[in-house]
Amino acid sequence: MPKIGNDIVDLKLAKTQSNWQRHGFIEKQFTEKEQQEILNSEIPFEKVWLFWSMKEAAYKCYTQEQEKRFFAPQKFECSLLTDAKGTVFYNNQIFYTQSKFDAHFVHTVAKNKKAFYIKPKINMYQGFGSANTVDAEIETKLAALYNLPKNKVEKRKTKNGAPKFYYQNKLLTSSCSITHHGKYGAFAFML
Amino acid sequence: MTKEAIITKLTTIVKPYVQNEEGFKNLSEETDFINDLEINSANLVDIILDVEDAFAIEIDNESMEKMLSVKATVAIIQEKINA
Repeated sequence: MPKIGNDIVDLKLAKTQSNWQRHGFIEKQFTEKEQQEILNSEIPFEKVWLFWSMKEAAYKCYTQEQEKRFFAPQKFECSLLTDAKGTVFYNNQIFYTQSKFDAHFVHTVAKNKKAFYIKPKINMYQGFGSANTVDAEIETKLAALYNLPKNKVEKRKTKNGAPKFYYQNKLLTSSCSITHHGKYGAFAFML
Repeated sequence: MTKEAIITKLTTIVKPYVQNEEGFKNLSEETDFINDLEINSANLVDIILDVEDAFAIEIDNESMEKMLSVKATVAIIQEKINA
């Protein structure tokens, strides 16, 4: 099944919330190859959070079909093809990532199938907003797409916390991912 | 070390990373770091590093994978202390 995941990092908050230079911090989360790439990059801080958002987006894509959550960032290996495009390998699976960043945030979308790019019947939306407006924004978009009253679109969560949007018993999103960090929120979904 | 003593020490460790104070007030063995305390996933690594320092143990990747709740973390700490 085609799935999509996304993750956002508020860089200003990341600076105060985590110290990437702390002993053990990168060793626990990144593969040796990634660590080298981080340390050799011009701005290691940005590389840390770019890789982190790629791993998180891939994890959120992957776990939508899983029963169990887990914390194994090192097992998701990032490779960049360009500054913004890359792949994440996990357990013989490949996730295709597209990141967007500026001085304030890094945002990555991960998909488990490359073909999404050319399949027009799959709709994908991405939005940015402050953390607390993301749910409302998705509801508004879905209500418009399905021609439903907005207050009838309802968010539910799977056992492992993945969001799903419903109208009564009808599932409206075949895949959905929501992310918040600091000032930022973002989402990606497919019908 | 008793389970209660481990939980007390662990509570002090997680406190600075907690985003949901209500969840922290009700902290129990069943508490989930992300769902109940809204701890940022990048800070899970800090918790793991703090646990290693505080209990003088080493946490391997396989154990780290499970450390999403108080219960799982306590079990891993006990296992490593007694190893």
